[in-house]
Parts: sequence; structure tokens; C-alpha cells
Amino acid sequence: MSFSIRVAHLYGDLMNTYGDIGNILVLQFYAKQIGVTVTSKVVSLEEDFQADAYDFAVFGGGQDFEQSIVAKDLQTKKKELIKFIEQNKPLVAVCGGYQMLGKYYVDAEGRKLPGISAMNHYTEQQHEHRFIGDILIKNAATGQEYHGFENHQGVTYLGENEHPLGKVLKGYGNNGTDGTEGAVYKNTTGTYFHGPIMARNGNFAVHMMFQALETKYPDTDFTEMKNQVQISGY
Amino acid sequence: MSFKSNLATMAGKSSYWFLHNFMGGGSSLPGKITTKIDPDVLHEMGKNYDVIIVSGTNGKTLTTALIVQVLQEKYDKVLTNKTGSNMVQGIVSTFLESSRPTAGKKGIAVLEVDEANVKPIVEQLRPKMFVLTNIFRDQLDRYGEIYTTYQKIIDGIKLAPDALVVANGDEAIFNSKDLPNPQVYYGIKHQAATDDRKAAPNTDGVLCPVCQHIIHFHYITYANLGDYFCPHCGFKRPDLKFSVNEISAKTPTNSRFMIDGHAYQIEIGGTYNIYNALAAYAVGREVGINPTQIKHAFETNQRIFGRQEEINVAGKEVTIILVKNPVGTNQVIDLLATESEPFSFIGLLNANYADGIDTSWIWDGEFERLPNMNIKQFETGGKRYRDITLRLQVAGVPAEQHRIQPDLEKVVADIPNMPTKKVYILATYTAMMQVRAILTKKGYIKGVKK
Repeated sequence: MSFSIRVAHLYGDLMNTYGDIGNILVLQFYAKQIGVTVTSKVVSLEEDFQADAYDFAVFGGGQDFEQSIVAKDLQTKKKELIKFIEQNKPLVAVCGGYQMLGKYYVDAEGRKLPGISAMNHYTEQQHEHRFIGDILIKNAATGQEYHGFENHQGVTYLGENEHPLGKVLKGYGNNGTDGTEGAVYKNTTGTYFHGPIMARNGNFAVHMMFQALETKYPDTDFTEMKNQVQISGY
Repeated sequence: MSFKSNLATMAGKSSYWFLHNFMGGGSSLPGKITTKIDPDVLHEMGKNYDVIIVSGTNGKTLTTALIVQVLQEKYDKVLTNKTGSNMVQGIVSTFLESSRPTAGKKGIAVLEVDEANVKPIVEQLRPKMFVLTNIFRDQLDRYGEIYTTYQKIIDGIKLAPDALVVANGDEAIFNSKDLPNPQVYYGIKHQAATDDRKAAPNTDGVLCPVCQHIIHFHYITYANLGDYFCPHCGFKRPDLKFSVNEISAKTPTNSRFMIDGHAYQIEIGGTYNIYNALAAYAVGREVGINPTQIKHAFETNQRIFGRQEEINVAGKEVTIILVKNPVGTNQVIDLLATESEPFSFIGLLNANYADGIDTSWIWDGEFERLPNMNIKQFETGGKRYRDITLRLQVAGVPAEQHRIQPDLEKVVADIPNMPTKKVYILATYTAMMQVRAILTKKGYIKGVKK
């Protein structure tokens, strides 16, 4: 049997500021090791997004201006995106992408823009201050540690039915106060880790890849493939 | 000049003299001393000059050097901040180091100015001309977004509304705001405007500034530069006053092209350098220098292309190229694609402040093109060797051709054993400086100042 993962690169031409495309490149890298095909398509402004056409989604971070344009367009994809998430398909959302999956976000100019409420977090704005630097977190469920680089002015607070991607060991995380970083709901992960979170953290990339495969092929046992993958990272 | 300014100039000049003669250096410290005493000192010193300011993300240094070269066809002396000290204090130092122009005669100065320093500089000097190269994403941990960066530049430009703005017409952002200034554009017009395409998915700055739809292109020269248009609202590239009509030949060390029907040649590769030459041409024409003189200027002093000098290391021809952001990196990869001989590739990544502390950008570089080139050996190193190593592995570089060598001393020691005569080193700023220091210590680079 041949397996494939179809990736939707959400607004890949506008939300791509920090090497977010690296997530798709490493997904292909690991998938190749186990003979799984990965195809990727940019789904952008005024383009149709169908939940059934994809098995994995990547939603990157962008500049404020681009994000404000995307926030408007995203409302037209809200229904299908929620369907995608509710089907347990994995989605990795970084910075702006993470913020817009929540209830609302406030941008650098103080404007409050609605998200799509696929998740229950919301994002406020710090005044003239950014959280910048290396960050290290630990996931409570798996015990895995993830590291990365954060650079954000938004401060995010988690809501119901979501738990943090990890507890902050070093750095700021969602808001610099409650010790949480990122948000997980079903197989969707939002994070402030810049861009290539999956490149830096091979364990996380492989985890997400098998979530996609197990959701798409529920009757297949992937244990052997899991043992086959060589995890890299930096 | 006020007494305070006079005193400030004296203090600055003597500190320059001291540093220069006793410490073997002296770039921004005298500037610091002077601006501490009187922040208006630049205003006083600048009065004696017609000033041209060059700003933008990439290409500032070479564009500035080429403009100086071109202006020397007409002016005996051109003041410039050659050391790359492009912030206020470095520019104060530049003026302090110079001798005053002859009484009653104005000098001319060409200054490379950091994007965020345009406004404070314009507050002190009244430039006659601004030259804008491009705005790309560059180490966002420092300046923010392309729109913010451009806003910083035009906040300065607006303070000198009489100054001519000479801007890259292939860069849509330079056509996005109304300015009170007179404006001319330069650009590359070597293809017919028949095609209709979008930029690659991972390109920045593709939203139409008028209606916020994705802009299209008749052709792209690189990144988001080219003959752009918006199919939704009709926004398009402005008329170009100066244009490259033909790119005749490109190698890693040479480019031949036609501007307004005249043939030119520069001893450096890369489309981005053709833009730099074109910008210098535009400035030259605006100040009354003719095409033949400009041709002469481009061919006179080859040392200005120093950033890509070739270093002989035990018989290997080694070229070190600075990389600092995705657009620049992709241009360098483009350049390597024009290499006809087999070569070895070394990628060195540091993440100190001067390199940019976030290495995420390496994922936006098109390293996937490397395995298709005639590269016999790959080596990765530097403080963040793990990042760049995985980047090349993911790009498909075969393990048996890929050596991992974190220690830069050892990287240099490996060079004589590489299987090819040509070796290209792509390095971030501090990695490049460290490699140069090692090469100097070993005697491969001679006569280089500290």
C-alpha cells in the first residue's frame, strides 16, 4: 500500500515570514524515509479551501499588514477549516496563524481583529515591547522538550478545551506570565516558535506526521514505520 | 559654525588622529565623541557638501562605491563612508576624517545610510538626492517589517522634499506612497511584457499596495522584483527613466549588459549587482555624466568589488560570500548556478547579533538547488552548524559528500584537501570575519587592516 500526505500551505505566499516553509520541507524529508509521498499546495486569498482535499495544514506567521488582509479572507474559509480541525487532521500554526485560529487578536496598531474561533485562546498586545529570544519548553503529556526562537508582540491567553504545547523552561511563551507556550486542541498545534518548529524539533515533526497518517489510515499499524524513522534536529 | 560645534569638531578630529595613529583603527569612536558634545555638528559640517544618500536592504555598499566611482568622472574629490559605518556616528566620523572642501566651493558626498538612520541624518544634512535599492526582509529581530522599514526611510525623505528620489522601479513598495519629492525610476526591461505569473510561494511583499490583492508579474528578475502589475486594480510598474535592456552574459565573476542601448561590463556576478550598477548609472546621468564616462568608471577600479575577492589557499581559488537573509542567499545560489567548473561548497552559520540571532531564515533559502549543481564536496560549520547541516540534508545533499565541521579553524585546514580547484564559502557576517582572520593568520590574506 502506498501512503500520501496532502499538505495545505495556508496563505503560503503571505504568511511565510520566518522560514515557515521549513515545516513542509522536513515533513517531506521524514516522509521520504518511510516511503510516504508528500504533496503541498498554497491556498491563498480568494481561493477555495476544502477540508477533504488535505491531510495536513501549515499556517505560518506574517507581517502585520499581510496578517490583517489574511484575517479578513480567513473568515471565508472558517467553516471548512473548523471541519478540518474537528476531523483530527493535524495543523501546525505559527505566530500569526496561531493567533487567527483563536477568538481574536489585537495588532500592533491596537486594532482588534476577529479570528475564526476554531480554538478558544485570544491575543492582546504588549505596549512597545516584544518577546525575543531562544525558548525551551516541555510537553506534559509526552515529556518531550522542544526548543526554538520566539519574536512576538502579541500576548496570548488560553481558553477552554485547549492545553499548552509545553511548559516554559526558558523564554517567555504565550504571555510571559503563566508559564505556558502554544496551544493544542485535538491534533492542531498553535505556537510562537518561529517558523521551522518541525525542523528544529524532529521529535515534534515525526509526531505530527504520524498523527496525519493515523488519522488518514485508521486501520493501518504504523509501529514499524515509527521505528524506521531517523529523527534529526538542531 | 557655533563655538560648541567647533569644539565638538576639534575633539572629534583629535580623537580620530589619536586612534588612527596610535591604535591602528578608528571608525565610529571619534563620531561618538563629537556627537556627545554637539549633536548638531553634522549639520555644520554637512553645509559644505551636496549630499547623496543611498539606502535600502541589500546592495547599499556596492551601489555607494559605484556611484563614487561614477562621480569621480566629474568631481575631483568625492566624500564617502567607505568603511560601511552607515549610522549617525559613523557618518559624523566620515566628515571629521575629511579635509574641508576649498572655500566657496561645495564638495560632494555619497553616503550609505542604514534604513533606520535616514531620518536622523536628513534632520542634520539636506541631501540633494536619495537612491533606493530595495527593501527585503532582513533580520526581523532588528528592524521589523518591510513596510515599517520603508516608512522609516520616507519619514526621512519627506524632510527634504526638494531632493530627487532615484528608486528601483522593479520594487513595488517604492511605488506605494505619494511623496512630495521629484522621482525617477530605474529597472530591468529585458523581456517583453507578455507573460502573466505569480512570484514563488515563499516570496515577501507580493500584496498590491492599492487594493491588497496578490500582484502578478510579466517577468521576475529575482525575489519580488520585476515587471509587476495588479490584475485586480491596474496598479503597475512605473515608467522607467533608466533601464537595462539586455543581459548579455553572466558568470560568477562577470556581468555584461546594455543600459539604454550602451554596452557595460562589471567584474562581478549576480543580477543584484546589475541593479547596483544601474542605480549608479542613473545617478551619473542625473548629474550630467555621459554613458561613455560611466563605462569608463565601471571598468576603472576593480577593487570596489572586493566583497567577492578570490583568495588563493594552497592552490585553491576560494571565494567568500556574505549571506544574511533569504533574498541575498538566493541571489548567491543563482550566482553559483552560473559557475561552469566543478566546485566545493562550504556553508558557515553563526547567530551572533551581527549575523541575526534567529536562524529561521535559512529555510527560506533555495538550498534545494545545490544538489543539482556540479558540487563535489559540501562542508557545513560555524556555531550553528547543526542548523545549516540539517538544512542541507533536507535539501537533498548526499551524506557521502557532506562533511560536518563545527570548528572554523578546521574548516580552513580542510580547504587544501578539497577535490576541486574552486571553493565557495557562504558565511554569515561573524563567521566570515572569523574565517578571514584565520586566513590572515595563516598568511593567505595579506596586507589586510585590523
